Amino acid sequence: MAYVATRGGEHAIEQAERLFRSDLGTITRDRVETVRDNFPYLVDRLMGEASLYEPDLAALALAQAGGDLYEAVLLLRAYRTTQPRIAIAEPVTQPDLFTVRRVSAAFKDIPGGQILGPTLDYSHRLLQVHVLMGEDYTPEPVIPAAEPAPATQPSLTDWQKAQGLIADHPVETVSPEKIPDLTREPLLFPAPRAHKLQSLARADTGGTLALGYSTMRGYGDVHPTVNELRLGEAPVRLRHPRGTVFSAGRVRVSQAEIISKSKSLELGFSATFGWNEVKVIAAAALDLASTRPDAHPASTEEFVLYHTEPVESSGFCIHFKLPHYVTFQSALDAIRDAKANGNAATAATGAKKLPTKEQEVAL
Amino acid sequence: MTDLSAGNPVIGNYHHGQALEILAASRPAQIKAVAEQILDDIGDVAVINNRTGLAMLPYQDTVQGTAFHLGEVLVAEAHIQVPGRGVEGYGAVVGHDLEHAMAMAVIDAAIAAGHPAKPILEFLQTEQRHHADCDRERLRKVEATRVQMETF
Repeated sequence: MAYVATRGGEHAIEQAERLFRSDLGTITRDRVETVRDNFPYLVDRLMGEASLYEPDLAALALAQAGGDLYEAVLLLRAYRTTQPRIAIAEPVTQPDLFTVRRVSAAFKDIPGGQILGPTLDYSHRLLQVHVLMGEDYTPEPVIPAAEPAPATQPSLTDWQKAQGLIADHPVETVSPEKIPDLTREPLLFPAPRAHKLQSLARADTGGTLALGYSTMRGYGDVHPTVNELRLGEAPVRLRHPRGTVFSAGRVRVSQAEIISKSKSLELGFSATFGWNEVKVIAAAALDLASTRPDAHPASTEEFVLYHTEPVESSGFCIHFKLPHYVTFQSALDAIRDAKANGNAATAATGAKKLPTKEQEVAL
Repeated sequence: MTDLSAGNPVIGNYHHGQALEILAASRPAQIKAVAEQILDDIGDVAVINNRTGLAMLPYQDTVQGTAFHLGEVLVAEAHIQVPGRGVEGYGAVVGHDLEHAMAMAVIDAAIAAGHPAKPILEFLQTEQRHHADCDRERLRKVEATRVQMETF
């Protein structure tokens, strides 16, 4: 076997890319803004998986990729490498979150109350087909309360710790520069918790859901309940050259705590950029499941973190469509040789022969 | 929440952190218009930096208290010098609006240079009020979704 250099694909490759792009048409600033404004949850999902928060760039990536999420994630991750890191912001803690949704499925009367916020959880899922007949669908306006909700909500886990319901882990103070960072260090196992949570924050939503769902269904001994689910906006606090800390703006974040009632009350956690509830609930369940000493193979830390990385997993999957002629022919040659060697022995039994190379070419 | 009241006020009753936060959250068209006016008065400006870059955002796990990196946020920043006044100005905003960051840096430098406070102060008050009104309206809608739990 030898590698064979071939040519002849250059024109086809160029035209194939042109065909993809011309099918999508001209991308304008208006088009990008339309994507950003009309699909905020899709933009959120993309920013979380890309681990880069910038809604305009995410909308542009979606427009360029025609909505192919994995292509869009790759575009954003690639763009990220062109930008210098100019700061590590001050750490976000729960009291910092401008909270618009906060619910608990475990406790009815939580400090601060249950705030549903923007959600379709309790709605009928009806497609407004009359829009296609030309009749606009205008949602009913919210009837605002007389007084605003508090901008921040108290911590449920602090209350549970005070009640002695859950373990109070000592908080280790780490300077932001010392926090382990997956973008600068390899993921090694057993992974530091900081790597695990960062990896889950940038994980593929679908992959996280598939593994989280398998754990919830019974491939694991975690029987999850949402202790707390929170959607909000986190401040990005930077340092002025004279040392003053200030917020340069807010970014949308989701976080979930999962509580298991199997043996004792144990909690899992996850957070991500954007409002993406299914991802943080599944990821928090996986955080908890992967800490079990007898974790199911599909919920071990290594299995989960390796297989939910969107760029690596999608890239590996789709590389199989690229030419593998030499390796495939090599495998075919090996099979053919094995068959030829065994022909004498099998001739008497009338075993079917593989087609010859010439017959394959004719096919 | 951030303690923005450290040190002495730098303009009116606003501490440096408060002023910077209002400038970063202000409406782009408005801050650019104010900065244009100030630029005419403060003289030549030397740009040290006006670029986009990434700010890594650390986050604290509420279960075990582990600090981890949530991801990177694109930020536009501007850092300028005003040689004639011997001051520097800095601005940074979430996003890619370099002009907003530059306008913020110009106003920050003007405050440091003791530029006549009235127009800047009026701008800060207007933008603070606008931002607070937007948050209040949003939170009134959020409050409408509070569950009034009744136990039978």
